[in-house]
Amino acid sequence: MKMELDNLTKQFGAFTAVDHISITMSNGVYGLLGVNGAGKTTLMRMLCTLLKPTEGTIYCNGRDIWEMDSDYRRLLGYLPQEFGFYPEFSVQDYLLYIAALKGIRPAVARKRVKELIMKVGLAKEASHKMKKLSGGMKRRAGIAQAMLNDPQILILDEPTAGLDPNERIRFRNLISELSEERLVLLSTHIVSDVEYIANEIWMMQEGKIMHQGTAEQIIASMPVAVWECLVEKQMVSALTKRYKVSNLKTEPAGVTLRIISGEKPCEQAKRADITLEDVFLYYFGEKAGDEDVAI
Amino acid sequence: MLRYEVKKVFSRTGSKIALLILTAAFALTVFLAVGSVEYVDEQGNSSSGIAAARRLWEDKNKWAGEINEDVLLNMLAKNREINASAEYLSSDYMENNKAYARKQGFSDIRDMMNYAFTAFREYDYYRVDSVTDEEVGSFYERRISNLADWLESDEAKDMYSEEEKKFLLARYQALKTPFYYEYADGWKAFTEYAPTIIMLTVLILGFPISGLFASEFQWKADAVFFSAKLGRNKAVRAKIGAGILIVTGIYWMVVFLYSAVVFGILGTDGADCAIQTGLGGWKSFYNITYFESYLLIILGGYLGSLFMLTLVMLVSAKTHSAVISVTVPFALLFIPSFLSGISVLSKVLGLLPDQLLQMGQAVCYFNLYQTGSAVTGAVPIIMTLYPVLFFVMLPVLYQVYRKTQIK
Repeated sequence: MKMELDNLTKQFGAFTAVDHISITMSNGVYGLLGVNGAGKTTLMRMLCTLLKPTEGTIYCNGRDIWEMDSDYRRLLGYLPQEFGFYPEFSVQDYLLYIAALKGIRPAVARKRVKELIMKVGLAKEASHKMKKLSGGMKRRAGIAQAMLNDPQILILDEPTAGLDPNERIRFRNLISELSEERLVLLSTHIVSDVEYIANEIWMMQEGKIMHQGTAEQIIASMPVAVWECLVEKQMVSALTKRYKVSNLKTEPAGVTLRIISGEKPCEQAKRADITLEDVFLYYFGEKAGDEDVAI
Repeated sequence: MLRYEVKKVFSRTGSKIALLILTAAFALTVFLAVGSVEYVDEQGNSSSGIAAARRLWEDKNKWAGEINEDVLLNMLAKNREINASAEYLSSDYMENNKAYARKQGFSDIRDMMNYAFTAFREYDYYRVDSVTDEEVGSFYERRISNLADWLESDEAKDMYSEEEKKFLLARYQALKTPFYYEYADGWKAFTEYAPTIIMLTVLILGFPISGLFASEFQWKADAVFFSAKLGRNKAVRAKIGAGILIVTGIYWMVVFLYSAVVFGILGTDGADCAIQTGLGGWKSFYNITYFESYLLIILGGYLGSLFMLTLVMLVSAKTHSAVISVTVPFALLFIPSFLSGISVLSKVLGLLPDQLLQMGQAVCYFNLYQTGSAVTGAVPIIMTLYPVLFFVMLPVLYQVYRKTQIK
């Protein structure tokens, strides 16, 4: 499976959401990182044929996906950021309906739905109405619908948004498990989601892919260092004004700061290992608030 | 897939409420239709229902047969006899009712006489009381001469072209006389209340149908729907199919039940009588029977429902809003009522789709359309125009929805 994005651009009036992206993907997990509004969802919607590009195109194994039409969507599984469903349908009916939408024959669909319900841990809730499920369960039903046609291309837009930490880890592991022998594109603004499961990470900002590579390559490419230092409380304000602080922890002896800087920020600072989170903050720091970088 | 689309529609609370309202509206309309046929007994007491209809049937069918000069003379004699009775001359309304009880068997013939012997645009309930035996022979001619006089009057002379006037007179002359008459109150009651139940069905069905193409957006299920293999082809066709199925199923169920209850209680006698034998149809230039009128009403209603509710689907597919699309039937039904007072618009109003839902009345209107020397009434035009528009809308609806982009 090979996907090529050729000069892909999407404009909404004067606003350019996706700006001339040219990139190639093959089987593996791709993590799309960026703050809210970076253009991740627009890019994914174009990959799912939900939006037509203003310029450029997308090829799947050398064929234009809009010309392929349903032949392309047959290969596709998509979990949107705002995962909507039919509230009065039971989990089973919902999945059977989506299976019908995906052109899966009823007999095969019943078998596949049963398997996936087991796999995502919703066996007990199979006959429950969708509206009665918790947020995590809804997301699991969402991944199940995306997997119904055993897609070769799996696109997950912010799949862990709104989940509690336990559910997020569980969900991440599920995605990892499902990602074998297919192309998975996972967008998030939560760094740890991609750090563990993505083979390649794309860092997106203002509609462009600014950095790409493995987690290690991206970390290695950061031109500055990360420092940790324990300082007195009254020094914190001055240091946060001067440097990008990726973490701040109050302790009895003072405050431990994690600072991203090309220079040693204070006498007692010690170099620390750089994490993907530090890189994210370094590149997107101006836009990323605390919430965006928090794990 | 069709099954799921129908299920989606009826899983919505709004759709369930709409069906409950339709059931209540149906019960009320049937009650009014059946109650509209009253019988006054010898004691002057009114009643309605199966027994009343049965007794009215017996009284009216004493006059069943061709309405020729002998029948009319007989009716005039009977009318005079009752008019001279103490009950009729009494100032007590119950006594008057007793007199009416003796007249109700020939009340339909009496009404026709009143129309025939007054000017075209007038109606005098007591005119029959002054009709002489010598005048009776001109009963059928008067229907035509009344029209001819009116067409030459100041009121109407510029209203119609010469071809249209000729057309109207030719239609009047083509009506088979003498009329065959029998009790037909079942058909009359059906015709009177059919627009009510058909319009209510369309208005109420607007609610579930408006959600058919908008619910994906309302529930934010659009992205999964349109990214699925069949989301932009077969699934769209399934939605259209579900819409047509729901409209067809519910419309015909309502019409079947309404017909069954009304005719079950009031009877189907009089199916072969011309609609001109009833008060409402006397002036109609459509020479049809009550049964043919019934077929026009139910078929017209179906075509009108299909057209209007497909338009609801189209607006819903375009705007993604159930709220906007649900207003379409209301606009189509109520705007013509507001504009009906503007005479220059009467020709246009006669061709609007609301006419399909009230065919029983449309066949009584003098809406004429001329192309060259050919003249026709509104009914054949709207019965052709709206099925064509319905079929034109289907591919448009399909294309509009399948090309949806999710921003």
